[in-house]
Formats: sequence, structure tokens, C-alpha cells
Amino acid sequence: MFIRHETLEKNAFLFLLLTLLTIAIGGIVEVIPLFTIETTVEPVKGVRPYSPLESRGRDIYVREGCYVCHSQMIRALRDEVERYGHYSLAAESMYDHPFQWGSKRIGPDLARVGGKYSSEWHYAHLTNAQSVVPESLMPHYAFLADTPLDTDDLVNRLKAQRTVGVPYTDEDIANALADLRTQADPSADNTALLKRYPKAVTVPGNSTAPTEMDALVAYLQVLGTMVDFADPANEKLRQ
Amino acid sequence: MDIEASDLIVGIMVSVFGLIGLILAAGATDNEMYVFGLSLAGFSVVFVIGLIRRHYDKAELRQKRLRGEAGHV
Amino acid sequence: MSDLALGASSAVAMPAHRTIVYNEDIVKKFVIATMFWGVVAFLVGVVLAAQLAWPELNLGISFTNFGRLRPVHTSAGIFAFGGSALIGTSFYVVQRTCRARLFGGEALANFIFWGYQFFIVMAALSYVMGFSQGQEYAEPEWHLDVWLTIIWVLYAVVFIGTVVMREEPHIYVANWFYMAFILTIAVLHIGNNIAMPVSIFTAKSYNIASGVQNAMIQWWYGHNAVGFFLTAGFLGMMYYFIPKAANRPVYSYRLSIVHFWSLIFMYIWAGPHHLHWTALPDWTQTLGMAFSVMLWMPSWGGMINGIMTLSGAWDKLRTDPGLRFSVTAVGFYGMSTFEGPVMSVRDVNALSHYTDWGIGHVHSGTLGWVAFITFGALYYLVPVLWQRQRLYSVRMVSWHYWIATLGIVFYITSMWVAGIMQGLMWRAYDAFGFLQYSFAESVSAVHPYYVIRLTGGLFFLIGMLFMVCNLILTVRSPTTERPEVLPAGVAVAGE
Repeated sequence: MFIRHETLEKNAFLFLLLTLLTIAIGGIVEVIPLFTIETTVEPVKGVRPYSPLESRGRDIYVREGCYVCHSQMIRALRDEVERYGHYSLAAESMYDHPFQWGSKRIGPDLARVGGKYSSEWHYAHLTNAQSVVPESLMPHYAFLADTPLDTDDLVNRLKAQRTVGVPYTDEDIANALADLRTQADPSADNTALLKRYPKAVTVPGNSTAPTEMDALVAYLQVLGTMVDFADPANEKLRQ
Repeated sequence: MDIEASDLIVGIMVSVFGLIGLILAAGATDNEMYVFGLSLAGFSVVFVIGLIRRHYDKAELRQKRLRGEAGHV
Repeated sequence: MSDLALGASSAVAMPAHRTIVYNEDIVKKFVIATMFWGVVAFLVGVVLAAQLAWPELNLGISFTNFGRLRPVHTSAGIFAFGGSALIGTSFYVVQRTCRARLFGGEALANFIFWGYQFFIVMAALSYVMGFSQGQEYAEPEWHLDVWLTIIWVLYAVVFIGTVVMREEPHIYVANWFYMAFILTIAVLHIGNNIAMPVSIFTAKSYNIASGVQNAMIQWWYGHNAVGFFLTAGFLGMMYYFIPKAANRPVYSYRLSIVHFWSLIFMYIWAGPHHLHWTALPDWTQTLGMAFSVMLWMPSWGGMINGIMTLSGAWDKLRTDPGLRFSVTAVGFYGMSTFEGPVMSVRDVNALSHYTDWGIGHVHSGTLGWVAFITFGALYYLVPVLWQRQRLYSVRMVSWHYWIATLGIVFYITSMWVAGIMQGLMWRAYDAFGFLQYSFAESVSAVHPYYVIRLTGGLFFLIGMLFMVCNLILTVRSPTTERPEVLPAGVAVAGE
């Protein structure tokens, strides 16, 4: 069993091989079972893929680096549950590529921000956060309201997400652009949209040319609202 | 004339990267890929010119040495 | 085996049998890049600190917003400043300790240098333009990840090639750490960045993993970016430059073996401590916590080995301020590797996580350990590489030392106070059992500490500028000239 360390010091390849084995163990033990143990992500009723507008909003959330100041993970601690709502479930981020749990709260947690404020509040807050929360340190995102949302590669974006495991159906993808426009237009008939994406919040935008801010607000408004904790089907989740 | 193997291999490799850069820039669907592709092509050109320059600098130095002109460097 | 215990000083003991012309040109380039990126990283850090104190400084422009600039700061600090320092010193150390010229020729080494700089510039540009993978310290999009992979593999080829072609029978301990760093970073970088691009011509991509698995892989990567980039790599630096500057052998050969293998084994497990009380399964959290606490021991093994190398040469701390940087760095290393295990305990983490305590902890490691050990190495390297007799001004080094140390003290103490205050305010209840403070109240409460932190960062930046001036003058000033100039790159006994 004992190899003299000298042997390793004289053979670079043996040394590297042993190093590789040494560093592989921890990663294998901690990562692989998360893909194989079924209870890692317990199925919950209500979690669905993001609607096209929400998904584009999420892209903007990632692009602007919102995760460096906002977490999306309510820990199972009394004060967090009282401040933000039910602790986050693994299933609630199962379609998040990438996850946005975050690591620092310069601003508050956003895991359940959906429905807490009106869409109008979000527009005002994104444009000038200090106008609604004077203490806020948040930068101004007024430019999002001036930037038309790029929808050219919408279908490719959804398809790429399907490749990595988000269950968008062919029908979802065929209707992507229509759904996106519907969700940005309060006067449009959103029956089909809600059938595909229950609880999708229609934002007061411009259906012919939705802006990046419309998309971001649609995303923020769905955060944490998909699972209905009052539903008897989710009984065992109730605290 | 007697190009160093390392110069040759790296030169070819970087030229291929430059071509890839041009292709990426040509097909780019967003600003980032366009900027990246063009920059990669530019990077390759400048790097290969640098390789050639260093090659001739060295060749010149060698000749000078042969003629006994150069001191140590 | 006993000759190895003498390690770094073996070059002194055994004069070179034949002249080897080392490639020092490449080391010089990396040294210059290190200084440049150090200034950039600290400057962006100061800007960000100012934005947190006075949010109007975000200017409302997309390019200058905190969210886009923050990855510029972290990438400039870790990959540009730290990476240039690591690759540069590793090329220096591997040639000297193996007594072999860099494998692969000048062109390859040059390509690694310029390719790496190209990566950094393109990455920074992409964040500012609004392209990010949205995973901390792994923000570059897929095309840049591919480019970095190419550079990194070539770097591994050059480094390992040089080790294989060595003339010394043993591989010196500094090279163990450098090799573990290069190999593990390759594994982590590839593992964490497997993503599906929207199309081959589109920069946007979606990571293959999602939610809880993505979180685990990210922090397996993220924590070991700390463990292998910012620790193992810089320990390699420590194992060469401290013995060299102190002119003493490494304190304990046996300890270096034990701490090397235990450090690289345990670090990999520590990632889940970033995910305590989250939706990550409890068993993973517990494993992460257990290994994080155990990690304290190998970390302190390294610290003891570094500091005790000075036994018998403590007086050098008074005369060699460069060495003072290196030794203080090891002290800070010991401090943050104690703080880390404490913070990884679930109940402490419940308070400390998501707060500025984490930011303080990171900076005690990066400013105190990473930057200080790099400063020590640079003060040693520049006169050697540019063949100068001495540094331009030793007093200026002392000024740098004290102002930077003061800066760190301001930084970490203000962040401790701010962090613990945030943690306590978030969980405070009033007499009626309601949460006592709104989130916004915790934001305005920490404002003074953000200003103090800004001052600390500013001090650190000023210290850095002292160093840059000093080193430029060391190279340029006629007062530091050597009486006789030796041919470039020739191994000189005693260096």
C-alpha cells in the first residue's frame, strides 16, 4: 500500500494521475447523486416552464447581473419565511438554466416577489428605485423601457432550453411569438396563453413592440407564484 | 528558411483561429459574437505579424553574429 | 530525500553544470500584466464600493451599472491580476526548479500570454455589453469559455512539459501546487460551463444543469476557484518565494506532503457550505460543512510551513519589506482559513450568509493573502528579471505595506460590523413577535460602513500605485543599475 512519496516526486504523470483521482472523489460523491436520487427534486404541482415573455425577462435579469444583489432562495429559517414567504422548494427552480439563487442580499430576496407589488410599481421602481424606496441602492433601469425586446431568436432560445431539459412542447414553440405579444397586451384575449402558462401575469405594455422592461416585469411577477401552497395537493408542503 | 517548429505550429493554429473568428463575425446574430469574431481575427493577424517579425529579428541577429558584429544580447 | 528538504535553496548549493537560457521574457510580460490588472481590479472595486455608498454613481447607463461592473471587478481581480501573477510566477519557478527551459518554445509561451490577455479583455467587454452566464466567477459566455479552455490546455502542456523535461531528479514542492492548480482548474472550468448556445452564432447560452444541480456544480466550481486558483496556486508561489527571499529551506518536507494531499482532497468537498439551509439536500450540506471544518487543519499546515520557514531568519523581516508582505500574506491566509470554517458551520452561516460578512471574508483572503503574496513575489522578481541591483526605494515599499495593511483592516472590520448588523436586523423581533426592521432599514443602517469600506479600498489602491511607481523606477532609474550586466536569462547562482 505504501508508495514512497519519492516515487511520485520523480514521475510527473503518476503525480498528476494521483492528483486527478484525489480531486475527483469529492465532486463525484456530491454531484452525481443529485442527478440520481429522486427525492432531490420532489415533484410539486404548479411548476411550469416560463412563458416566452417571462423567459426573455429572465434573460434580461441574468444579463443585468441582478443576481449579484438579489437572492432567489428563501432559506428554511423562521425570520426568512416570515419576511419573504414559504421557503423555496427545489422544484421551483427546476427549469432555471442557470439557477439564480444568488449569494448576497444588497437588496431583498426575490424568490416570491411575484404578486407582492403591482406591475405599475415595478415599472416605477425599475425606472427609478429611489422614487418608491428612498433608501434603495439600486441602479436606474430606465433604459430597459426604451429598448425594444429582441424577439428574432425567440424560437431558438426556447429550443435551446428544450435541449437542456425544459419541457416546451412543439405547440408552445409554434405559438411563442403570439404568446409573447399577448402577455404584453392587457386588451388581448389571453385564454390560450393562460392555458399553456397558468398564472402568467399580463403586463401593461405595447403588444406590437414589447420592451425589455415589459419582459422583466412579467418575469418578476411570476416569481414564486407557481406553487399554490393552499392547494390540498401540496398538503405536505404546508408549514 | 529554417522556421522554428514552434513558430510554425503556433502560426498555423492562430491563423485557423483567425478564420474561425471571421466566420463567427460573418454569421453573428448579436453584437457580442460580432465583436468577438472580428477581434479574434484581428488578434490573429497581429499575432502572426509578431511571429514573423520575431523570426526575422532573430535571423538578422544570427547573421550579425556570424559576421562577428554583435556583442551579447 | 534530504536534499529535497532544502528545496529552493538547492540552486544555491549546486551550481549549474551548464548554462541554461531560461525564457524570462515571458515572465516579464506576465509581471507587467499583473501590475496593470491589479490597478484595474482595485480601481473598479473602488468604483463599485462608491456606487454602494452613493447609488447615483451608477449614472443610470447600462454599461456602468453595478450589476454589469461587478463581474468586471471579480474577473479582473481573480483571473486577470491573480491569473497573470500565477502563470507568470509558475513559468519562472518551473524553469528554475527544474533547470529546464520552458517547453514548447517562445511562440507558444507568447501565445499563452497574449491569448490569456485577449480572453480577459473580451470577457470584461462582454459583461459591460450585457453578456453573462449569470453564475458567479463563471460569467463569460460559452465562446469565451471555449477560448479559455484552449489557452488553459496549452498552458498545462507548457508547464507539465517543462516538468517532464526537468534536469532535477525531484519535482519541487511549489510545482506540486502549481500542477494541482492547473489540472483542477481545467476540470472545474469545463464541468461548470457545459452549456447549450442558442445557436453557434449567438453568444447567449443556457447551462445544461438547472436549479439544485446547477447550484451544486456552480459552488463546486466557485469554492474551488478559491481553493485551487486563489489557494493552491498561490501556495506554489509561497513555497518558492518565501524560502528564496529568506534564504532558508522549507520548514518541514513531511508537512508539505501531508498538507498538500489533504488540502487538495478536502477542498473539493467544501462547496455546499455556500448553500446552507437552501433547497440543496441536507446530506450534501452536512458533508460540505464537515469537510469545510476539517479543511482548517491542512490550511494551517500550509501556514505553519510558510511562516516557520523563517526560523533563524526573522531579522530579515526588518530589512526586507518584500518578505514582510509574503509573511503577512501567510498570516492573513491563516486568519481567513480559520474564519472560513467558522462561517461554514450551519448555525453561523444562518447569520452570516447573504450579508457583507461574506464580502469581508473574501477580501481578507484576496487582499490579505492573494494580493500580498503577489506583492512579495513582485518585489523579489522585478530586480532579478530586469537585472537591477536593488529596488528603487525600500521606504516606498514600507509605505505600501502600511497603507495596504491599514486598508485591509478598514475593509474587513467595516464588513464584519455591517454583516453582523444586517444578519441581526433581519432576524430581530419586536415585543409583539413581529419582525422589527424592514429590509430598507437594514440598507440605510450599513451606509457608514460602506463609506469606511470605500476608504479601505482606496488605501489599498494607493498602495498599489506606490508599488507600480517603485517598480517602474527600479527598472528605469540609473541608481539601481548593476555594476556588471549578465547576459539575459542566464542562470546565476544565488538567484
